[in-house]
Amino acid sequence: MLALHKWKLLFLALAANLALVGSLASGDIKTTSEWNWLDIVGEGGLALLALIWLLLILHSRPAGRVTQFLSLGLSAVFIAGFQDWLDEFIYFPEGALWDHWIESGFMPIGLILLTLGIYHWHKEQLLITEQLRKRERLFREHRGLDFTTSLSGAHYLRVQLQHELAQGNQENPLALVLIDIDNFAQINRRYGNREGDNLLHSLSELLLLNIRRNDLLCRYAGDRFALLLPNTGKLMANTIAAEISQAVRHFAFKPQQQQDSIFHSVSIGIAFSCGQTAEADTPDSLIARATQALLHAKEQRDSQQLRAA
Amino acid sequence: MSKSVELPLRSVPPVYYERDSTIVHSHFWPAELIELAQARVIPEHKLLRHTGIFCEDIHRPDHRICPEQLLQLIQNITKNTSADDLSFLVGHQLLPGKIAVISDQLMASTNLDELIDALVEHQAFLSPLINIRRCYEGDELVLYWQDACGAEDSFIFLVEALTTAISSLARWRSNSRLPWQFYFSHKAPVYIEQYEVHLGGNIHFDCQRNAMVIHREYCYQAWAKNTHASVENFLAASRNTVNIPTKGFLAAVYDYLHSNIATDPNLEQTAADFGMSSATFKRKLKKHRSHFQAIYDQVRKDLAVYWINQEGWSSEQVAKKLHFHDVANLRRAFKKWTGLTLLAARS
Repeated sequence: MLALHKWKLLFLALAANLALVGSLASGDIKTTSEWNWLDIVGEGGLALLALIWLLLILHSRPAGRVTQFLSLGLSAVFIAGFQDWLDEFIYFPEGALWDHWIESGFMPIGLILLTLGIYHWHKEQLLITEQLRKRERLFREHRGLDFTTSLSGAHYLRVQLQHELAQGNQENPLALVLIDIDNFAQINRRYGNREGDNLLHSLSELLLLNIRRNDLLCRYAGDRFALLLPNTGKLMANTIAAEISQAVRHFAFKPQQQQDSIFHSVSIGIAFSCGQTAEADTPDSLIARATQALLHAKEQRDSQQLRAA
Repeated sequence: MSKSVELPLRSVPPVYYERDSTIVHSHFWPAELIELAQARVIPEHKLLRHTGIFCEDIHRPDHRICPEQLLQLIQNITKNTSADDLSFLVGHQLLPGKIAVISDQLMASTNLDELIDALVEHQAFLSPLINIRRCYEGDELVLYWQDACGAEDSFIFLVEALTTAISSLARWRSNSRLPWQFYFSHKAPVYIEQYEVHLGGNIHFDCQRNAMVIHREYCYQAWAKNTHASVENFLAASRNTVNIPTKGFLAAVYDYLHSNIATDPNLEQTAADFGMSSATFKRKLKKHRSHFQAIYDQVRKDLAVYWINQEGWSSEQVAKKLHFHDVANLRRAFKKWTGLTLLAARS
């Protein structure tokens, strides 16, 4: 990402250089005995931290208005801090006001720009959160994210299930849907891992389009997705499962090396949390029941294929 | 009284490859691992650090590396990723492999038994780091894994990959889900979902050994002829491809002890039969991250568990066969090996 912003960094380096050269030209250097170490460390530390924040932000963000504000603001803070730090080493003559202006002028300007940047960042973040909603549901944890699909994994699913089960009640059951791609291993064998990954990625986007705002989609493992449907009864869950199955069947995946599209089907297993039974559901028992249902669906599909053949 | 038959003295020392023998074909395990790691954007310098492997060598048909380098590569991969599924993905991709002569044989197998035959025959090529041991126990075919060259921390990765590879290939060839039972000696990991999805149903953790087991009736069920076109980029087999020892050093020692248990083998005799001095033998074991007692204990544990569980032998019989003075000593040793009492092992 830093390559995107190389002009900004170059400009900042130039400005810092100018401040240094200007200071050296107009002032006299202090002797070591006149140095105040506390000020040197304190003011230097401020400039250094501002620089680190700037680099981190530039490194993680694409160009754009928010990045512009943040980087300008942090640059101004850095320049002000840098100039402040320089006068620990250099005497400025009484009449020279410009170093004072840099110190005291740049700092508020920088902070105002930074505030503007953070404000816009906040608005941007709200939008992104809305976009990510179906992937994360009210809680963010970047460490469990799956590389291929950018969905959360099984661990996150268990945490969310635990959370939902803990506050679930009998009127509002919870449905867990496991979705398994049929014959995925063959795709991987035939077209290679990369195509398999592409397919998983495309399918995850497709599934996200087919679920409601409050549902959560995770990649369970391999070619198995898990869909958590809060406050969902049998009828609704079956409808959603049928819709997903339809959507996948009509999705024409195009591998890179060949012209023809490949079509897929999925097997689906659903389990419902049942508040009325004596034993309360745990995430694992719910997942186990959904897995059973899924395996059952797969067996049925296999025997149907056998009969057809 | 039946006449006891003297075991013939081994005049020829066992053949084996070592940790630093260049027997691993670069375009097989290493190339698959590197491709997968690169798809997961692990930087090349981190991936190949300390391995002595260069990316441009990997696809040269005759290029080989040694088991030690492959182990280092696996360590680098597991260190630089948080993904839990790489071993399983490698497993799915691994077989039938890209050497014409071997993969043709695997694909031409007409039942599970023939497939396993081919796997065992070419295990030094297909699975150089952990060797396959096949046996029949009662009505069941049992495949279990032996450390060949000192895999240490990577052992679980290798077991996951090989188990997936075999079940995946068998599933493809048989065109059905075979009812395997999978046993793992490690604790159930946090990523247990990977086992469920990639291996399927019957998975057991905290077991006495790493094994995959299936009822014998499935061994001879005929499979449909393979109609798939050969995988592309097949490499014609050069003659020396197949011509390497089939076992790693540690597996060779294990097998020696296993078949010579009747003679109460010791370090000196074993070293002599391997054609070297005790000191050299010890050094070699150390190089492979092991020592004599560890392998001997492993052999005795496996035998004891088998005799007790499968053959239903009494503790006295087992103690005698394993050269313990009395049952109390066996009991103590058994507890140390397995964490179980003899009684618990029986149930």
